[in-house]
Amino acid sequence: MSVGSGDGRPEEVELKIGAELTNLPIIRSLASSIAMRADYDLDSIADLKLAVDEACSTLITRADVNATLHCSFTVSKDEIRFLVKIRSTSDVVPSSDSFGWRVLTTLTDHANSWVERNGQGGQPEHLVHIELAKRRAEGPA
Amino acid sequence: MTNTQSSQTGNRNSDTGYEHLAPMFAEMAKLQQDDPRRGEIRNELVTGHLPLAEHIAARFSNRGVPREDLVQVATLGLINAVDRFQPDRGTDFLSFAVPTVMGEVRRHFRDASWSMHVPRRLKELNLAINSASAELSQRLGRAPTPSELAKHLNLSQEQVYEGLEAGNAYHSMSLDEALSPSADSDSLGETLGEPDQALAGVEDYESLRPLIERLPERERQILTLRFFRHMTQTQIAERIGISQMHVSRLLARTLETLRQGMLGDEPD
Repeated sequence: MSVGSGDGRPEEVELKIGAELTNLPIIRSLASSIAMRADYDLDSIADLKLAVDEACSTLITRADVNATLHCSFTVSKDEIRFLVKIRSTSDVVPSSDSFGWRVLTTLTDHANSWVERNGQGGQPEHLVHIELAKRRAEGPA
Repeated sequence: MTNTQSSQTGNRNSDTGYEHLAPMFAEMAKLQQDDPRRGEIRNELVTGHLPLAEHIAARFSNRGVPREDLVQVATLGLINAVDRFQPDRGTDFLSFAVPTVMGEVRRHFRDASWSMHVPRRLKELNLAINSASAELSQRLGRAPTPSELAKHLNLSQEQVYEGLEAGNAYHSMSLDEALSPSADSDSLGETLGEPDQALAGVEDYESLRPLIERLPERERQILTLRFFRHMTQTQIAERIGISQMHVSRLLARTLETLRQGMLGDEPD
């Protein structure tokens, strides 16, 4: 099996899972399995796995009680895009000057974070997003 | 364990620094089990021989198991040796203690190496992938892909996936690591102190710094090389002399340690 439809259209893999640190291994192994089956090199597989781990940990620590982590991987020919979001009472975007952010930007080709404000019915509710992209490594293949 | 044998012989006739402790074993053996003096002597014997436990732990360090854990395990082995040693048997304590302590440390390595049961076939597959990966990295100048590994090893891609996934079942330390020579710490020394300068631009630097300082030296070096020198895991693996998979596991663990440390740091 390889991820991605035969005709080159991007393939989407989604995962909804409780925002608990104990669930990280499941998300991590999904990330690794997707990159592995897309035939990324071992360094890129490991990088994506670490980056997904870091992004999800960042969001889990700001999650509301009983919140669900929404993860999606979009696999196209030369790029894997990972989007993760969480419901949070905080509307603070993960700081791009933090060490965690440096980890994300080192490990991936693209990292972005934003907050969607959803304040319905008095309760402030925010969706904090982190998006990462890992491109297939270029090199003498 | 032939090298254990030879180190005993070496110890017996040379100046070991523990000679002054030897008569205390005979003294302890003569005392009743409930004599309070017995406990005192036992303590003195354990404390006096602690450098031996530390020395043995050091011989097994740099293999992916934290040094403090090894010292603790070796110390337990030492306490067992002190309790079980019978001076009237004619052997000296060191000849008895060295293999006992080493056995304890080795057992710890065996138990810590795989966190879940992985069939032998998968362990071997994982080792084969590890060495093929090192070889191909050299040739390609970058880490290989699963399909390149499959071709090189004459395996199906599914088998390579299986072998790579088996690597995730390794705990903090891997079998290949236990078999490889321990890392040469001198080659790491040159990057010491660097995280400090490199981290100065990071806003959580103040809370991060003590956490990084507390990391084992090799973990700190790997962190620096990956995030401040932008070396790939394969390059780091080559430089340090361990496998890329092991670098990957150490990095994952280090980042987790740092994240947990940062969380614990917050006022709430």
